[in-house]
Amino acid sequence: MAPVGGAAAPVTTTDALARGRLRASLVPDLLVEARRVVNTVIAGWHGRRRRGIGENFWQFRPYVDGESHARIDWRRSARDDHIYIRDREWEAAHTVWLWADPSPSMLYQSAGASVSKQSRALVLALALAELLSRSGERIAWPGVTDPFAARDGAERLAARLAHIQSPSARPEMAHIRRFSDIVVVSDFLDPAEETQAWLGPLAQRGVRAHLVEVADPAEETFPYAGRTEFHDPETGERLTAGRAETLGADYRRLYLARRTELDMWCKRLGWSYTVNHTDRLASEALVKVHMAMTVDPGLGHGVHS
Amino acid sequence: MSWLPLSFGAPAVLFGLLLLPVIWWLLRLTPPRPQLELFPPLRILARVVRREETPHQSPWWLTLLRLLMAALVILALAEPVYNPRENVSTGGSAVAIVMDNSWSAATDWERRAATASRFIDDAADAGVPVILAFTAEPLNAEIGPFDAGAARDRLNAIKPQPVPPDRPAVYARVAGALEAVPGASVVILTDGLAEPGDRQAFEQLLGGDISSLVWVEPDSLPMIGLRTAENNARAFEVSAVRLPGDPVPAAATVGAFDDRGRRIADATLSFGPADSQAVAQFEVPFELRNDFASIAIDGQAQAAAVRVLDESSKRRRVGLISQAEGDQAQPLLSPLFYIDRALAPFADLVEAESADLTEAIPALLERKPAMIVMADVGTLPDEARAQLIEWMEGGGTLVRFAGSRLAAAENDEDMLPVRLRLGERQLGGSLSWTEPQPLTEFPASGPFADLTPPNEVTVSRQVLAEPTPDIVERSWATLADGTPLVTGASRGDGTLVLFHVTPQATWSNLPISGTFVEMLRRLVQLSRNQGSAEAGPEGAREALPPYRMISADGQLVPPSPEARPLEIMSDEQPVTIENPPGLYGGEEGVFAHNLLGREAALLPIDRPQTGIPVSSAAYAFDESQELRGFLLAAALIFMILDMLAVFWMSGVFAAARVRRRAANATATLAIAALASGLWALAPSPVLADDTRPGDAEAIAAITETRIAYVITGDSSVDAVSRAGLTGLSRFLTEKTALEPGAPAGVDVETDELAFYPLIYWPIDPAAQMPSPDAVARIDAYMQQGGTVLFDTRDQYSTGFGSDGASAATQRLRDILASLNIPPLEPVPPDHVLTKAFFIMQEFPGRYTGGPLWVESSLDADNSENRPVRTGDGVSPIMITANDLAGAWAIDNNGRPLLPTVPSDPLQRLWALRGGVNIMMYMLTGNYKSDQVHVPILLERLGQ
Repeated sequence: MAPVGGAAAPVTTTDALARGRLRASLVPDLLVEARRVVNTVIAGWHGRRRRGIGENFWQFRPYVDGESHARIDWRRSARDDHIYIRDREWEAAHTVWLWADPSPSMLYQSAGASVSKQSRALVLALALAELLSRSGERIAWPGVTDPFAARDGAERLAARLAHIQSPSARPEMAHIRRFSDIVVVSDFLDPAEETQAWLGPLAQRGVRAHLVEVADPAEETFPYAGRTEFHDPETGERLTAGRAETLGADYRRLYLARRTELDMWCKRLGWSYTVNHTDRLASEALVKVHMAMTVDPGLGHGVHS
Repeated sequence: MSWLPLSFGAPAVLFGLLLLPVIWWLLRLTPPRPQLELFPPLRILARVVRREETPHQSPWWLTLLRLLMAALVILALAEPVYNPRENVSTGGSAVAIVMDNSWSAATDWERRAATASRFIDDAADAGVPVILAFTAEPLNAEIGPFDAGAARDRLNAIKPQPVPPDRPAVYARVAGALEAVPGASVVILTDGLAEPGDRQAFEQLLGGDISSLVWVEPDSLPMIGLRTAENNARAFEVSAVRLPGDPVPAAATVGAFDDRGRRIADATLSFGPADSQAVAQFEVPFELRNDFASIAIDGQAQAAAVRVLDESSKRRRVGLISQAEGDQAQPLLSPLFYIDRALAPFADLVEAESADLTEAIPALLERKPAMIVMADVGTLPDEARAQLIEWMEGGGTLVRFAGSRLAAAENDEDMLPVRLRLGERQLGGSLSWTEPQPLTEFPASGPFADLTPPNEVTVSRQVLAEPTPDIVERSWATLADGTPLVTGASRGDGTLVLFHVTPQATWSNLPISGTFVEMLRRLVQLSRNQGSAEAGPEGAREALPPYRMISADGQLVPPSPEARPLEIMSDEQPVTIENPPGLYGGEEGVFAHNLLGREAALLPIDRPQTGIPVSSAAYAFDESQELRGFLLAAALIFMILDMLAVFWMSGVFAAARVRRRAANATATLAIAALASGLWALAPSPVLADDTRPGDAEAIAAITETRIAYVITGDSSVDAVSRAGLTGLSRFLTEKTALEPGAPAGVDVETDELAFYPLIYWPIDPAAQMPSPDAVARIDAYMQQGGTVLFDTRDQYSTGFGSDGASAATQRLRDILASLNIPPLEPVPPDHVLTKAFFIMQEFPGRYTGGPLWVESSLDADNSENRPVRTGDGVSPIMITANDLAGAWAIDNNGRPLLPTVPSDPLQRLWALRGGVNIMMYMLTGNYKSDQVHVPILLERLGQ
């Protein structure tokens, strides 16, 4: 019986030679694909001259019942009998941090999936980079680049990524500042508590995060049966199940519980949580992440595909 | 495998050991190689699978254990045998086993029998018949051909016999049997001792068409045989022989036993290197020697090591002859007086009854004396002399004393040891200048050598011997001047002794000295009895019955049935199977018949020279031991160990561990299945099918308590009975703990009655009278504890007076006439029936007023005016006329079937209550009569 899934050739690898070759050939592909994806999304992209996330004043507008009291501009409201809310303009140089999980577990690709998770994650990240660069946002990759704004942001990011010797599993995020957005593309297979402990400080600093879970269908449906020995690609742990099919129900429950917990947590923080399966189109997730980015902070909610 | 005494019954199976690497490979692959899967969310899965405990491979020691187990099973299948017996080929169309079960085979008979059994086994394996002959068996014994089982039985029945083998006769029989099966192989299991006639016997046996010969002889023949046992002058002497050529010196202790088996003396036999003969001497007092009844060599459990002794070894008979007319008034002057006094303690003295020597000497010789003492007899009649000489040549000892007659007689060469000068010599008399002579040292050559010469004895007169060249060696005692005092010479087997003095104290004071006694005693020891007392001339051909036999292992045992009376003949008797060694005769006298003759020698048997292929073997126990059981047991133990190890590894012994052991257990189970498959399937036990017709009915009858009624044949009566009992059953179910089953109708002619506590019997005069057989069944039922409730149902149809009985009552009387009916009485007011469940006095049915008759409790007492009389048992019979069933009867809806007379609902209720009481009485007996005493008992206990 052929294995259900295996490790795909890494899209980024620590091996210098293989990495150079792979990067040279693969990254352009990714870019092409990312551009293709972006083109389908760009139509939903609105003009920037509007209120939105930003630090600059955009307009005062009358308070409407139901809006948060915290947003009332009391100084302006004190002038007359109306109550005003200060809208901010969409920040021109909004900083969006992008990060795709480079861990070995991301290399997994099952038979039912078209690409590996890492490939999908990179595609998503670079597509977002392309998207954001085109709209003039500042993009950055923690541990790789500081925020920069460039038309060819995606290429530059890809080039920078290609030179990373050993991407850290958990990048340093201390210098991500307030009002920034961060898009974290990973499989989030660590226990939810670890993920929360890792990303929790961002919420405290006011960073809005968009979590994109890239999931292989095999991970979710657990199509294994019979005597199976499972390997963890990260830790090398081994686990042998005599009759794997008997574990399926419990596993799926735990797997979905983790996702639900992360989803709920993100909702609570006003973040978004997006799930993208590698047997589905990347653009689905891209659209949803983009939509989540455009909604008001605090009102963002997770979307699922 | 020469370095290990190990062989395999199925060595081809050992190639199975080549499978071990395969098994190793299988074991390494077991548990089956899992499907390898990369699985990133392993940490989540790990929470499902709590623990990962099964390594990819079994630990090496477990694999080793299992390989050992497999190797043990394979080795066990190869049927290993430890200490395998050597195989001697015994091909041919038959196997003739000729075995010596003679006396020398007794010591290690078990080993020899085991050897023979091996040959029988070989023959059984080859499927050829067995001719089995024994050389010390009666000649009419069966020799086969046998099949193996019969041969084994025959071998087991054979015991060694205390007789020498009779090879010529038995071999001739075997040769005769072998003519029928040409090409047979012969196995000769010898005892290792040569016998006369061996050569001819072997030629006869091996002369036929023999395919092969197996020659088995013992490795060593350590037996020692006693040849003679003689009561000599100084000691009791036994001589023994062993096989010649044994370079090892040997010593053995010989014990002498009295007639009750008590050991009374010991001696030692010492064989020097290469000696084949040895002599042991019991140097014990003479009186003790006479008590010897048997001599046995210690540690030799065979017949030749035992020698029984008869009278000839014991007290000698000594005949006394004197020509002098003894004056009874002057006994001290009688020539035989001192001899008599000297010999009486240790010899039986026989005096001649007649002074006429022609009568006295033959009469004396008939008594077979060991020694004859003749006091001063000069010449003998020719006839008597010839007899005496013949007796002496045959071993008699003649002791003569000198005297005036002898001195005057002519010299008689045959009757005197030395030539005598005519006349006597006087020493120290009044006309002599010589002194009376004392004795000097006894010559060393004589029997008196160890006696101390007395210094008080002097000889004043004597007869003188002519000086001859051999005078010195014939002198047994001499005087100080060198003249012989006692001379002796052997005559044939016997001895002739002459005292040169008189037997009384006239010529010397020797007869009144202690030395005289000692000398005579020595002479008596020299003598030998010439046959047993019973063996007189006319009884010489008499047959003596066997009395005490020497068994093959050297014990004295009662005679076996085979032993036949022994005909005493003059020459030595051969020991045969009919005349085994032992004592013949009876309590009053015995004749010893011993295995080895005086000149017997033990010689090793010669292997016959023959052109037939000969293979030799040795006697040995079959010490081969099957190792299969041990190996399988070891494999089983390993299997248990393996299972324990698997359990331990899978965490059965640690409570919180995950139980996953199936994979490992699979290997164990496979080996277990392999091992268990080896055993032949035991026949599964067959359960006897003991079902019999009627079982279903019986089971139905006893599964529930059921009330029975007798089927009268009248359907209306039977329907009422059934409905009545149904109604009573329902009432019982409602009111009591008893829930009876459906009423059972019984046919008293055929049905088994014992299942029912109560049988209701409505008497129907129209019905057929029950047969005597049925009445007998009813009687037995009542005697065994059942109760029949007869209901005549004629309360209102009975007339008055003695002849007014209704037809039903008359029928009841007819039935009861042939039953054992106890005395009856109407239910008394204090009867248990009135208290059994409901308290009631009347037992109405459809009708009222009729009494209920029960067995009269004559011996029941109610002295203390209790509510209920005491008493045991249940009345076997109840009679009523009230038609109880009619009152009880209900229809399907539970409504009463028949009206009561008078129509009183309460009467029906009382009828049902009566039925309840009757049933309770049936089932609980007199329990209620005890129960009503409870208040009194409680009152007593409270005090």
